[in-house]
Amino acid sequence: MVREESGELIQGTLEMLVLKALARGPLHGYAVAEWIEQTSQQVLKVEEGALYPALHRLQLRGLLNAQWGASENNRRAKFYQLTADGRKRLNAESHRWARLSAAVAFVMQAS
Amino acid sequence: MALHQVLLKIQSLFRRRSMASEINEELEFHQALLRDRLSRQGVPPAELDMATRRTFGNALRWRERLTELWQFGTLENLLRDLTFSARLLRKSPGFTAVALLTLTLGVGANTAVFSLINGLLLRPLPVPDAEQLAVLRMEEGGPQPNYSFCTPFFRSLERNHDVFADVFAYNPDILQVQGRSANENIPGMLVSGQFFRALQTAPLMGRYLTPEDDRPGGSPEGLAVVITEQFWETWFDRAPDVVGRKLIIANVPFTVVGVMPKQFIGADPTRKPQIFAPLSTDPIIDAPRNHIDDGIHAWWLTVGARLQPGVTLAQANASLATVSRPILHAASDDAEFIGEEEKGHFHFVAEPGSRGFAYARLLFRRPLLAMFSMCGGILLLACLNLAGLLMARGAARERELATRLAIGATRQRLIQQMLVESLLIAILGTAAGLAVAPLVSRSLAALLLSGDSGGLLDTSLDVRVLCFAACVAVISAVLIGLVPALEATAGNVNDHIKDGQHARQPRERRRILPRVLLASEVALALLLVVGAGLLATSLVRLFKSGLGFDPKGLVNIAFRMDKQQLEGDALMRQYQQLGEGLSRQPGVKNVSFEFIVPLSHRGWNGRYGAPGAQPQLMYMNSVGPDYFATMRIPLDQGREFTWADSKASGLKITLNRSAANLLFPGKEALGQQVIEERSHSTYQVVAVVGDTKYRDMREPAPPSGYIPIMQDEQKKPSLTAVVRSDGPQVALASAARSLAARLTPTIPAPTLSTMNEVLNDAMNTERMMALLSVFFAGCALLVTGIGLYGTLAYATARRTNEIGIRMALGARRVGVMVLVFRENALVAGIGSVAGLTIALLVSRALGSFLYGTSPRDPWVLLGSVAALTLIASVASLLPALRAARIEPMAAIRCE
Repeated sequence: MVREESGELIQGTLEMLVLKALARGPLHGYAVAEWIEQTSQQVLKVEEGALYPALHRLQLRGLLNAQWGASENNRRAKFYQLTADGRKRLNAESHRWARLSAAVAFVMQAS
Repeated sequence: MALHQVLLKIQSLFRRRSMASEINEELEFHQALLRDRLSRQGVPPAELDMATRRTFGNALRWRERLTELWQFGTLENLLRDLTFSARLLRKSPGFTAVALLTLTLGVGANTAVFSLINGLLLRPLPVPDAEQLAVLRMEEGGPQPNYSFCTPFFRSLERNHDVFADVFAYNPDILQVQGRSANENIPGMLVSGQFFRALQTAPLMGRYLTPEDDRPGGSPEGLAVVITEQFWETWFDRAPDVVGRKLIIANVPFTVVGVMPKQFIGADPTRKPQIFAPLSTDPIIDAPRNHIDDGIHAWWLTVGARLQPGVTLAQANASLATVSRPILHAASDDAEFIGEEEKGHFHFVAEPGSRGFAYARLLFRRPLLAMFSMCGGILLLACLNLAGLLMARGAARERELATRLAIGATRQRLIQQMLVESLLIAILGTAAGLAVAPLVSRSLAALLLSGDSGGLLDTSLDVRVLCFAACVAVISAVLIGLVPALEATAGNVNDHIKDGQHARQPRERRRILPRVLLASEVALALLLVVGAGLLATSLVRLFKSGLGFDPKGLVNIAFRMDKQQLEGDALMRQYQQLGEGLSRQPGVKNVSFEFIVPLSHRGWNGRYGAPGAQPQLMYMNSVGPDYFATMRIPLDQGREFTWADSKASGLKITLNRSAANLLFPGKEALGQQVIEERSHSTYQVVAVVGDTKYRDMREPAPPSGYIPIMQDEQKKPSLTAVVRSDGPQVALASAARSLAARLTPTIPAPTLSTMNEVLNDAMNTERMMALLSVFFAGCALLVTGIGLYGTLAYATARRTNEIGIRMALGARRVGVMVLVFRENALVAGIGSVAGLTIALLVSRALGSFLYGTSPRDPWVLLGSVAALTLIASVASLLPALRAARIEPMAAIRCE
């Protein structure tokens, strides 16, 4: 079950990225994946299905709301939206990540 | 889990189907967009599926994960496992039937015996603060403590107690209560004044008996009794004005002063008295006997007490130790008696009494525990057997399990499913076992207490029994399921899928574990068979040990004459008429009378001697004319008694052979004089007869003497008619009843029992243990046979290819048979050796239950091994024959 382990590793990070993707408004799952891939300039490539456990987990924890609506091509799609709790969590995670990545960068740049 | 989450999950629980379709729709929407994008990017249509899968991952797996997220994982998995297991069980009805049957047997037997143990040994009395109760006993230096008190001891204890709030005594009795036409026998109890106060149960109506009632002549209002709710129902039809009504007991009017509720059973869990009468009325109720005036010669009372609040048992015992000597000295002037008791360091001891006192407990503790371990053995056997079968089936399910592992199920999940399966079997088996247990335990209790008239044991299911059954279910589920589950899910996924059910490299561990299971099964079965063999042999030897009389066709009819008017010679004429009436019944050959029915555990002894010689202890009986012919006791010398042997004609005695040899060694006993020690009466020996067993079948016939009933010291002896008859018993019973009703209308209906029943009661414990152990041994053999057969059949089926190839390559059918048969022969051989070794080590524990049989009786051991070998051979021969019939071409083509 090697695959499972790497999944665990990125779970927290993936959830943060999902929250970030939804910061600007409701999106369906495919759009979230697309946004992450494009914004990261194809660097962060997840197995796209892995997104859904993350989405559903966040929904269960009350950080996201979900609603069925029509997509751009007029198909029924499930749209996710940040709740107030979700927004708070995103803020906290962003701060944490900024500190962490700065620290990692600092360490890696040391000569 | 946060509240929010729980609520959402509960919501989803109610829209399971739409949840599933929503998840599907969401995932498919994504995959559709993804396909569009990929095809825009120039992926050729033929590779679209692969590419989508590569980018998206395994959609099935994601769906599984999402569904799991929305569920209460464990619970829902459990439900799914349950339905799956139920389906599996339905699919293999043979396996399921065997599993359920063996478990029902194991659990049923265990629960039944446990209810017995619970009723007799564990359950506290249904009274408030039962833990404050104590049971008193006497230590007299003998091998066994004495629980039977005499009146003087008890009255002294009752008068001066400081550590006890109340001290009470009771004696179970049969009361003669006047009914519409004649007296009826009603089980009752004589209780002392503080009895009810100590047991603290409020009466349903009226009041209970108090120390005022327990005085000679009763309280100023007269003699009082308390009845039970049940008696109120059957006798008074629940009349609301029952308090104050009269009951004629032993021809004396008593007033009903109260009714006790149903749950009140007194202080002995094996008794169900219907009437409680004051102890002081014994001279009336037991007339013409008087246990109270008999003083230190009547040891008839069971004594209990309730501790003062805050007083421990140790403090109570310290106090009892100081009063023991003064109480002993106050009880009697008999210096010899006091000296004898003081030599044994006589003292009273209090022991925990929350469960009351039951004499049956002293008798049946060890047999019950022995039976319990036997039942445990059969349950263990059933579990081992099922584990073996499941393991064989698990091996057959290899491919299915491997496939499930491959598509993402965890090993834990599979083990859980298999444990659920065994739990399902265990629960079903336990439920069935629980359903039959009350029936079994009731009949066992009846069997156990059959020698004890009025004895009754409540073996109903209670919380303790149910907890026990639940524990049994869980433990057996784990025993059955865990090893096979671990075994079946171990190992490499790919190996399983590739190999499936084909012949492959033997993996040593896999082949050894089932064999160990089977071998232990064989060993355990052998152990049970040896135990059963020993107990049954002992019973047969006991049967054949010879009684000295012929019990076949002998019927006892007991008349209770102690409360009617006639006495002395007039009563004897009455008996003579009864005898003549009985002898006119069809099929009746001889009729006589006796005071003590042999082997009924009653006894009467005295010291008799030749003039000038040391008196010897002898067991006595008083018997009627024609007695020895009726009993078919050989009359060596002299004559039978006749109705002419009255008190006026000089005292006569008949000795048995042992007594004659004891009193007159080397001399002719006939015509000699024998002197009784206490009364100094002189008897003339009129006959010498053969030896017979007296009280206990396990002991050799003691020296005994017979005197004619006409010369009995008792004024109104209650005699038993012994009838030798080959006619119908029912007719005899009704004839006896109508005769008694005509000749002595006031006595209770005579009770009839065959001598065989008396013998069965006398061998009660042996009989029950032998019966049960033979039954269990039979079951053990059957279960083991099924186990050996089932496992081998599975294993052989899996080797069909291999056998086909062997045969194609020239192996002969006999060779194939040997190949298959060998598998079990080895297992059975090892199991037998192990079982025999253990049997030799532990069979000594049975020693005390055996009569004239060594716990290592070689014939029994040999026979057991032979029985097991036979069963094992039959069980192994069938699969071997089937293997030999395999058509090589068909087998190989299956590939």
